Amino acid sequence: MKTLLRSSELSCPSCVAKIEKALSALDGVQTAVVHFNTGRIEVEHDPVRASADQLTETVRRMGYESSVATL
Amino acid sequence: MMLARIVLRSSRGTVFISGGLVAAAFALRWIASLSVVSNLFMVGAAVVAGLPIAAKAVSAIRTRHVSIDLLVTVAAVGALLIANYWEAAAVTFLFDLGGYLEARTMARTRGVIRGLLDLAPLRAVVVRNGIQEIVEVTEVSVGETILVKPGSKVAVDGVVIAGESTIDESAITGESYPRRKCQADEVYAGTFNQSGLLTVRVTGAGLDTTLARIIRRVEEAQEAKAPTQQFMERFSRWYTPLIISLSFLILVATRNVELALTVLVIGCPGALVLSTPVSVIAAIGGAARRGILMKGGTHLEEGGRINAVAFDKTGTLTEGKPEVIDVLVLSGLARIPLMDDGVDVGDTPELRAVRWAAIAENGSEHPLAAAILRKAALLGTVPIPEQAEAIPGRGIRATFSGKTILVGSQRFMQESNVSVSHTEGAEMSSRTSGTQVMVAVEGALLARIFVADPVRPNAAEAVRQLRQTGVREIVMLTGDNDGTARAVAAQVGITEVFSELLPEEKLAKIEEMRRRGLVVAMVGDGINDAPALAAANVGIAMGAAGTEVAIETADIALMRNDLMLLVESIARSKMAFRNIRQNVIIAVITVAGLLTGVLLGGIHMAGGMLIHEISVMVVILNGMRLMSGTRVPSLKSSLPHNSLSGDLILSRPEVR
Repeated sequence: MKTLLRSSELSCPSCVAKIEKALSALDGVQTAVVHFNTGRIEVEHDPVRASADQLTETVRRMGYESSVATL
Repeated sequence: MMLARIVLRSSRGTVFISGGLVAAAFALRWIASLSVVSNLFMVGAAVVAGLPIAAKAVSAIRTRHVSIDLLVTVAAVGALLIANYWEAAAVTFLFDLGGYLEARTMARTRGVIRGLLDLAPLRAVVVRNGIQEIVEVTEVSVGETILVKPGSKVAVDGVVIAGESTIDESAITGESYPRRKCQADEVYAGTFNQSGLLTVRVTGAGLDTTLARIIRRVEEAQEAKAPTQQFMERFSRWYTPLIISLSFLILVATRNVELALTVLVIGCPGALVLSTPVSVIAAIGGAARRGILMKGGTHLEEGGRINAVAFDKTGTLTEGKPEVIDVLVLSGLARIPLMDDGVDVGDTPELRAVRWAAIAENGSEHPLAAAILRKAALLGTVPIPEQAEAIPGRGIRATFSGKTILVGSQRFMQESNVSVSHTEGAEMSSRTSGTQVMVAVEGALLARIFVADPVRPNAAEAVRQLRQTGVREIVMLTGDNDGTARAVAAQVGITEVFSELLPEEKLAKIEEMRRRGLVVAMVGDGINDAPALAAANVGIAMGAAGTEVAIETADIALMRNDLMLLVESIARSKMAFRNIRQNVIIAVITVAGLLTGVLLGGIHMAGGMLIHEISVMVVILNGMRLMSGTRVPSLKSSLPHNSLSGDLILSRPEVR
């Protein structure tokens, strides 16, 4: 399943790799791509093992608020 | 847990508290000379501002990532250890403040597209089994009927099946002048219904609307990295480790802890990595607000170097929709009795003649037929002939109410034994250079009808302004015949015309121009000109609203059929190109200056951080200038619209 998160708090492109690594390290996440320019975070994951809430919580631990978006 | 979350997160609160502590510390030192208390306040400021940074650094390390936060944390802790409290407070406070301001301004820059997202209503009024229901747009299916009430936004893409209204389509086309909509017209999600109640059949809802496609397209464009951005990111990848090693070397070689820590502070390549993306995001977002969709940073940079433009003719320089521009009634019309089918033909002989022609043409697919039928529709429904036969290259022979109608070229009339007076109307034929269609009923010549594809009202102005913005070579590439092509070219001010070209010949011409070192933009309708658009450095599609293909494939898609938008998109590309260059120069000079200053000992930790954060803000604010959703000021046009109606030209050859 693919979940789209949006964050408006990304301020320096160096955070991209950090968030991607943290999300990918979660059990149940296959891929995580952070687009700095738009603040979109695309996550391919198994919703049973890694819920959308866990995804936003992980991004929060890295220091950024985000929320689930449909588009 | 709650407390930890508040303390460990950078926010307005941490910025203000640490800022206040720094200010209080200064006051205590200079006014009350209480240096011990002052130092305590400085430590407090460093802790408040520094904890969130340290927290980020720790979570990054857990995922084995050396982040900028770590460099700043090490520098601040180091400063505290060598009792340099002011430096520790200043570094953390400035880094926190900078991060906060940068996030806010970046959010504003990204917000251009978020604004588009908010345009689309979440619910629609659907009519199911005659009952109105309010449902989520994602639950509306294609083919259903929805109501759009006055003063509300259209929730889906669809076709009007009943009602009439004016709609503000600026969300899609960037044009705020409202458009009249009635039956069979298309409406788009996110546009605003101003006056009437519309009943709309849904053609796309939820994620399958023009608005959603625009948002996706714009965001993909913003995410596509321009060559400069890729270069900067590669550069920054070795810049940070280099700074860390440099700092370590300095420590080992000079034993100067403070100098080593100061070098760490300037290790964040902030301005370098932000310089290009911020310009790209702002430029693409700003252009989208004006109805210009750009495919990405690469095309933005390429668009800024355009010095040659190739135009398609039909549908690009001209409206692409032939019109009856003149009717010359001949003496034969008086001999034909009025039709008694209940249609009031009034006393306009021109329309009577056009109506006869339209009856014969009814059902024909020919573009000239469409022009004549549209004109005749002014009198109401056009009847269908009892019998009709198309004679290729000549015209149409039809029968209606027992009368034979002939519509076609002069040659067709002569071959069908209709006597054509060469003097009657000859004067007008030479004045109007359009395609001429003759109509005869029962052997009597009724009229000469002139059909033309009008040149767009602002085509000449657009070509003139293109030359002003530094485009050296402007050519027309068309499949049409030479005479028509040259006539249109003369009207719009293009001197280089290549006519009667096949699509692959258009492509070859574009390639030839590129071989001569020109950076070529090809402007077409996005569908017929696909190969040439693809071959150009920048392919620009006109009038792309509602055409999925054009939105997806063109490098730049113009949502309106407005040639001034073409001039604006090239001007915006050039501005963005300049802006990116300025930002890169600012960033490189800052980094080089900081490094030199620190190594020569002129810049200390706090000063270094201040200069660094200022350079980041300067780069962001400079980029944000591109966000403007208003017309680019240098392009204000004094041209009145629709000023050329008396000055039309024909673009179709005499095909009959």
